[in-house]
Amino acid sequence: MNTRSMGDLFPEPDPFDPALNLEETHIKEGYNDGYSDGLVTGREEGRLVGLKDGFEKGEELGFYRGCVDVWNSVIRVDPSHFSTRVQKSVKAMDSLLQTYPVMDPENEQIQDILNDLRLKFRAICGSIGVKLEYEGYPGGGGGDTKDFSF
Amino acid sequence: MEFHDGAEPKLWELQTLEGHNDRVWSVSWNPVTGSSGVPLVFASCSGDKTVRVWEQDGATLSWTCKEVLEETHTRTVRSCAWSPCGKMLATASFDATSAVWKYVGGDYECVATLEGHENEVKSVSWNASGSLLATCGRDKSVWIWESLPGNEFECVSVLQGHKQDVKMVRWHPNMDVLFSCSYDNTVKIWAEDGDDDWHCVQTLTEDNNGHSSTVWALAFNAEGDKMVTCSDDLTIKIWETDVKQMLSGGGYAPWNHVCTLSGYHDRTIFSVHWSSDGFIATGAADDAIRLFAEGSNGLDDGASLKMVMRKDKAHEMDVNSVQWSPGESRILASASDDGTIKLWKLEN
Repeated sequence: MNTRSMGDLFPEPDPFDPALNLEETHIKEGYNDGYSDGLVTGREEGRLVGLKDGFEKGEELGFYRGCVDVWNSVIRVDPSHFSTRVQKSVKAMDSLLQTYPVMDPENEQIQDILNDLRLKFRAICGSIGVKLEYEGYPGGGGGDTKDFSF
Repeated sequence: MEFHDGAEPKLWELQTLEGHNDRVWSVSWNPVTGSSGVPLVFASCSGDKTVRVWEQDGATLSWTCKEVLEETHTRTVRSCAWSPCGKMLATASFDATSAVWKYVGGDYECVATLEGHENEVKSVSWNASGSLLATCGRDKSVWIWESLPGNEFECVSVLQGHKQDVKMVRWHPNMDVLFSCSYDNTVKIWAEDGDDDWHCVQTLTEDNNGHSSTVWALAFNAEGDKMVTCSDDLTIKIWETDVKQMLSGGGYAPWNHVCTLSGYHDRTIFSVHWSSDGFIATGAADDAIRLFAEGSNGLDDGASLKMVMRKDKAHEMDVNSVQWSPGESRILASASDDGTIKLWKLEN
């Protein structure tokens, strides 16, 4: 005798289906609940992360913009005050700031541009002999002094 | 134990110099002294935040401290280096600055302070012409500065690439190619691609016969075609480059591993230096100084570098630095955690 499932003998909805699929139903329900909850909290978390990261990046870029503007003013007023090398670096920073894709946070080049800006900034400060920073500056000025080192 | 030319070399202890109040980290010989009647001069730097300049008396041949450079660095001075012309001394400090000193009117004066590193500066080195100064530190970066008229120093480049604390920088003796070694177990080679554009052209990693732990120091032979590196992995390694390619290529040619000397040290090797007549000296954490030289051992195995001498208990504590004197006097200076500097004479 061929074995056939209940579903073959009773093509209309199997009255036992819900009981048999209880676990699956609960799983589906739980998933849906989690998904819609997650949507809400995830969006909120994303908003907060975006605000924080956006603020920090904006603050850093704005800081560089301010420094470059001041340095450009110096160059305009007294073109011989900064060496050719420093002037070249200031110009390079200026153009990096202009190419930074502010409206495209997913852009892959962002980290490279930021690193380049940071290195140029440090080099210029080293050359002209100034220490410029602000509270919260990433990697800020030697704050992690150790008592011992080798 | 192999012998060099049949007779075992000896290191005679000439003098022990006291004066520093803390461990002595490094010594640097003034390269224009020690010949033509000019008495040998070297500088030492210490955890006591000072630098001392020592001179040998031409008649008595004994050493005295001529000058103490103090009240400038606010923390340990970790490294010092004389410029090739012998007129300037650069010092690197845990206070995150490097200072440049000049001998003016009978006194050493700090004529420039280089700031920029985020924390402890570990090493400083002048290039062959004295136009460039390199520094490196715990912030993982290597800085190149250009020496300009009027004691001005301008930052040419900030080089990032090492993943950890950079322990030492050294310029190649003939070419403007920079070498750095680090807690990240690698040696990096940096070259300029025209107009201030410096970047890493080669990294000697563990995968390519490189060290498997912190690389503490590196040194070149007189010809500049070989380099020795020493490490926390208890080995020293020899590397070589193709000189012809180096000269025709305008500076950089790849460096390749030649051999590894293991089994000779059982504690970290902190310092290594290659004399002009081919002796490699090492200073290690077991308080000993060892000498290696090329010599035939009768076997045809290619690796002809052998340990030729070992001075146990050269110091009471870790030997931090060993440096051969310039000229032909075959004097070795060693600096230690025990706060002393010793002068040794090599006799073969």
